[in-house]
Amino acid sequence: MITVIAIDALEYTLVEEFNMRNLKQDYYGRTDISEFSEPRTMVLWSSFMTGENREAEILAKGDKEMWNTRIPHEETFFSHFKNPFVLDLPGYNYDLEQHRRERELLKEFFEEKDEERKREVRRKYNENAFAHHRRVKERFFEALEGDYDFVLGYFSVADVIGHLNFGNRSLMKMIYRDLDDIVSRVEGKKIVLSDHGMKAVGAFGDHSDYGFWSTNFRDLGRPRITDFKRIVLQEALGE
Amino acid sequence: MEREHLKLVIVGHVDHGKSTLIGRLFYDTDSLPREKLEEVRQICEALGRELEFAFVMDHLEEERSQGITIDTAQTFFKTAKRDYVIIDAPGHREFTKNMITGASQAEAAILIVDVSEGVQEQTRRHAYILSMLGLKQVIVVLNKMDLVGYSEEVFEKVRGHTLDFLKRIGINPTYVIPISAREGDNVASRSERMPWYTGPTILEALDTFKKTERRDGGPLRFAVQDVYNIEGKRIIVGRVEAGTLRRGDEIVILPTGERTRVKSIEEFMREGVEEAPPGKSTGITLEDKLFVDRGQILCRLEEETPKMVSEVKGSIFWMSSEPLQVGESVIFKCSTQEAPCRVEAIERRIDSSTLEVIEESSSRLENREVGEVTLSFASPVIVEDFNVTPELGRFVIEKEGNISGGGIITRLEG
Repeated sequence: MITVIAIDALEYTLVEEFNMRNLKQDYYGRTDISEFSEPRTMVLWSSFMTGENREAEILAKGDKEMWNTRIPHEETFFSHFKNPFVLDLPGYNYDLEQHRRERELLKEFFEEKDEERKREVRRKYNENAFAHHRRVKERFFEALEGDYDFVLGYFSVADVIGHLNFGNRSLMKMIYRDLDDIVSRVEGKKIVLSDHGMKAVGAFGDHSDYGFWSTNFRDLGRPRITDFKRIVLQEALGE
Repeated sequence: MEREHLKLVIVGHVDHGKSTLIGRLFYDTDSLPREKLEEVRQICEALGRELEFAFVMDHLEEERSQGITIDTAQTFFKTAKRDYVIIDAPGHREFTKNMITGASQAEAAILIVDVSEGVQEQTRRHAYILSMLGLKQVIVVLNKMDLVGYSEEVFEKVRGHTLDFLKRIGINPTYVIPISAREGDNVASRSERMPWYTGPTILEALDTFKKTERRDGGPLRFAVQDVYNIEGKRIIVGRVEAGTLRRGDEIVILPTGERTRVKSIEEFMREGVEEAPPGKSTGITLEDKLFVDRGQILCRLEEETPKMVSEVKGSIFWMSSEPLQVGESVIFKCSTQEAPCRVEAIERRIDSSTLEVIEESSSRLENREVGEVTLSFASPVIVEDFNVTPELGRFVIEKEGNISGGGIITRLEG
């Protein structure tokens, strides 16, 4: 049994700065995503689950359509498991409606000129993201109790909240602490992985061009995101 | 009337609950600004969790590190008796370094130990520093009693081990208190879950501590920081390290030995100031125009003056990956004095974690080791035994531009 805690936009330098010991586990570092032209969520997770660089294919769908990507189960390494549980992963089974709502509010925020209304949109945006996070957490912990041979939980809160609030460090730190706490509650072999990190752009956050990884079983050096298929299968199934 | 405040340091192993305890102390004494607390509570709720004190501390620390919080109210917690200032941020990367440069100011300490884990490496190291700094008012709290079912048996066992260890390094804690910082047991209010414990809560215990004696009538030590010429006046700026400085005092300037009188005490927007109490940074003018410079110490003529020595022996806690080596030259800083010195000898080199003596006599002191070091000076320095005048008895060592060690003076020679 192995658990992957997939955290969107978990930033290596912040994990270090906040000294989040559970997120760091025993071994941790940056991933190498330099083979991709841009650190895009959908491209990176699609490549992760298939063990292949899927950038060309995903980008070809265009900005809008790419978010609807659903990679068939048999093309993913999850299919090597008898009874896998994958929670809310982009490109596989994530909640399209949730994501549509997030993008809508984000657009509204940047189009809004009035400062007070802007704050109100941000409040809605945050509330929407946090509500989703609470649901995901609940389902994740239920899954850990279940009879699965592989569990992957995908947490978008650091990315979604980060985009509009990255400058609010105390809020970001509390989110990191919550994620740190989630990892601490997972038993057995585990991998923490992010697609990309996040860097400050004024009060906002943009994607940084490396991801974060950590394990409690071995040093992975500077892995590419496509290496995780092999790493997971080797650790879990000895393949 | 200004409320008394006592400086407190909270030390212990990183996971043993310092943040939680600090958060709990702030919360239970109603010392947190309500709007901050509400903000944190809302975020906790958004994340689907109860209000946790570690989050409260995160919030305060982040604000402080960004310089947003200058509001001193947030560094205090209050009891009916006095205010407490926590002088250390928990979880800081350079925590040990802060202990040496900051904890030396502390008047009391809480050593926190996770009762389910007992004394750990960092516990030892931190405790050793407390002992080195001569802190006498120490409370040991055995935290996370909730995790061991509030068991008296477990408490007694860990209490025994902890006291044994502390005895070996010369710390005799005033209290050992079973607590749960998370649940609030025996922090501000007595725990109903541990009826077997009849001692004080943390707050009750703290309130029994005394302000470290500031010897008001004791020997004056005024350390010169700088000299300014303002509107024709020559103002000597410095800090009253010990004693009380009064207008009209006959003083002697060390090391020159010249004598004069304090003409005035100069404070911004205040006239006719008669005295400056210990700990006060202030400006003064003198009757005579004498040579005064940074690093000099002004003392009262009729009182015993500190010695000027060319050799000192002190306990040093080293905290740099570059070792301290016999024969090398480093910078010695004590109060406002800064003097090059040579490392003459290193004795009783001790591992600060295991407390084992590595070598009785050594050529070097490595990172996180403690040693008794002899330093010599080309021109004499003005220092005192730490246990006589702590302000002139503690120092830091700078090597290659970095503060690399700190310690206290145990013996003066030459």
